[in-house]
Amino acid sequence: MSAALDDVIVLDLTNTFSSSLSAAFLADFGGSVIRIEFSDQQSEPRPTEGNWDYEADLIHRNKQSVVLDAGMEQGRKLLAELANKADVIVTDWEIPKLRVLGLDYGTLSKSNPGIIFGRTSGFGPSGPDKDLPVIDELAACRAGAMPTLQQPGEPPVYTGAGAMHATVMLAFGVITALVHRQATGEGQEVDTSFFAANMYGASLDLQAFLAIDEDQRERIMHPISRLDVSNPISGSLYPSSDGRWVTLTMPDTDRWWPLLAPAVGIDVDDDRFNTHEKRCEVNRLELIQELEAGFGRHPGAHWRQLFAEKQMSADVIEQFDYPAQDPQVAANKYIVELDHPSFGKVKSLGFPIFMSDTPARLKSLAPCLGQHTASVLHELLGYTEDEIYQFTNEGVVV
Amino acid sequence: MAKALEGIRVIDFTVWFQGPVSAQYLADFGAEVIKVENPKGGDQGRGVRSMKALAIGDWNQYFLVINRNKKSIAIDLKKPEGQEILYKMVEKSDVFLSNMSPALLAKMNLSYEKLSAINSKLIYATNTGYGRFGDVSKPSFDMTVQALTGAMARLGEPGQPPIYMGMGSGDAFGGIMSAMGIAMAIYQRNKTGKGQCLDASLYGAQLYLAAPFLQSFLAGNKHTALQQSRKEVVNGLWNLYPTTGKWVYICEENNDQRFAALCSALGDDTLRVDTRFDTAQKRLHNNVALIAAIDAITSLKTDSDLLAGLAAFEIVHSPVSNYADVVKDEQAWQNNYFMKAYCEEVKREVKVRGLPVTLSKTPGEVNTLGPQLGQDTELLMMDLLGYEWDEIEAFKAAGAIP
Repeated sequence: MSAALDDVIVLDLTNTFSSSLSAAFLADFGGSVIRIEFSDQQSEPRPTEGNWDYEADLIHRNKQSVVLDAGMEQGRKLLAELANKADVIVTDWEIPKLRVLGLDYGTLSKSNPGIIFGRTSGFGPSGPDKDLPVIDELAACRAGAMPTLQQPGEPPVYTGAGAMHATVMLAFGVITALVHRQATGEGQEVDTSFFAANMYGASLDLQAFLAIDEDQRERIMHPISRLDVSNPISGSLYPSSDGRWVTLTMPDTDRWWPLLAPAVGIDVDDDRFNTHEKRCEVNRLELIQELEAGFGRHPGAHWRQLFAEKQMSADVIEQFDYPAQDPQVAANKYIVELDHPSFGKVKSLGFPIFMSDTPARLKSLAPCLGQHTASVLHELLGYTEDEIYQFTNEGVVV
Repeated sequence: MAKALEGIRVIDFTVWFQGPVSAQYLADFGAEVIKVENPKGGDQGRGVRSMKALAIGDWNQYFLVINRNKKSIAIDLKKPEGQEILYKMVEKSDVFLSNMSPALLAKMNLSYEKLSAINSKLIYATNTGYGRFGDVSKPSFDMTVQALTGAMARLGEPGQPPIYMGMGSGDAFGGIMSAMGIAMAIYQRNKTGKGQCLDASLYGAQLYLAAPFLQSFLAGNKHTALQQSRKEVVNGLWNLYPTTGKWVYICEENNDQRFAALCSALGDDTLRVDTRFDTAQKRLHNNVALIAAIDAITSLKTDSDLLAGLAAFEIVHSPVSNYADVVKDEQAWQNNYFMKAYCEEVKREVKVRGLPVTLSKTPGEVNTLGPQLGQDTELLMMDLLGYEWDEIEAFKAAGAIP
């Protein structure tokens, strides 16, 4: 079976989970992703204490590893040769570091004009803060959603979802640039930032804020108590009798009320709640209290079964054990079982996109450091065994 | 300006948020996106005029922003004549995208088998709720799917309700995931001339919203599923701290040099000499006490006082901004993360969220906001599909188009 990106060579120059995973997505669909690490820099491998390095086997799966000494002239020469063979760079390194190594877009594009240079920045390619560190927490702080997510009086919440959003944005941008290159031969720079990703994660509230009248902005800027939601049956949370949380998304209350009301012990024709206006405006707070009592009468399992039977847009909030065991997740390969050579059968996040003809596949787990140095030097750069032996002896490569 | 997806034609048969956002990314980068809508009301998203009980301005920003740069054709697909029009569009298109369920699409004679038989180069993309395989078919919305992933349950202080990541957060994520898959299928199709079927579901995407923590859980670290208090994070130098005003995020590694700088920034000598905190190891071990000690200092300061101290000693930090701050943020405007666009509905320029992905030579564009329902029907029937005027009249008489 062919792979969508099997003609694409990618150099992976990444530190963050987010950008490493962008490159892994390209590798999942057939890209030859070569992860470059430097022997002369103190890299701090995460202490795994003999346990499975589950993170590496997600964010570096299907990649090759090349280790070289960029402090040596010959090491930098090999680096330049690799970059000249590459179709795509994926990086989150700071610009000055890239420049010192001759890996910035300006330098690379002179000898390799078709290169697509994909970078995750902290705050975007322009503007006064373009050189701020590439740290998702800093970007999330700037995007405006953090002080709104929690219940009133609680600390703001950092979700980490912005960095995941950036992962997919960078991969999308790189692939879109590849499509452009197919037509024109032209390479270019692709940038996405943690700032942009966090802004897009909060897109609806932020867009509403842009459009809303000044005097109404307060409600959107601050947390809203779950007992004060605008629509008691949409975007709301209620505890079940066994301390689980039930959540409902039924924006069209006219459609759902006849199904929901009897389930929570309210007469459909109860004249306090028999129109959308009464449910969401006139008697909104009273309805919230009724629902609080109603959902509290039965355990989470009861509600799950009822929502499934009646095909209702509602569910019970779960912890990670749920998707880990969910047959629906397994059937779609969203979580897969790996056969790890040292740790046996283990579960790992799988593939979020299904493609019928060029599916994502797991060819290999994360490489060992330098596992592919020799083969990449030989196959991609054409060095002989003797030359590679000499590089190794001189400490240029590992 | 050149466009990356120039020449790609997309049939956008989507409603609400995830599907429209996915097609919006393709339209922003130059694809010709034609929204196919039911003549009676169109996309339900057109009806969203308020959020959190607030009227969202005098223009329909929910619909108009995610459907920008698109055309609209109104077709009654329940009529055979309407289906005939859509099939003709399929002949002339590169991508078909829908977020209806595969069962409903099959019922409407719009299955992958049917459409790929008409055009073998077609990329047929769906945004299901829970994936193409398995038995789950109930309605899916952002929050009800986010609920299942475990991503909500781990957020918030212990004992507090789970945290929803914001209106449309999961839909927006599913939308970009879908756009990535479609771009990849286009790349592959350009090499082989062959289309395929793809699906980017809301559930599949959202399982990646908390990927670092879910992956850790799968490896046996059960605590990552649970809420963790900010008062107990492992490294107290990388944490949120209160002031009398805004909260502040401090992001520093736990080493002696950065700790000394932080103590200077806080202007507090008792912390510096406290023997519970004088090595990195002790700071990890006494993390709860350390966080409480820093809390006691910062919570008495105004945010501007704390920020000035942190800046003076080059501590990596940021205040926790609110929406009023971000809409004025020069950095966001200079990178086109916000843009201005002319809004036909109110006959003036409005502010919209812009382009979060920057391509240096083929930047995205925002040329028009979302289309009026069916505004391009007749023009597309003539120019794209090649119907004569009397044929168009016949389609109208049959009720296939308005």
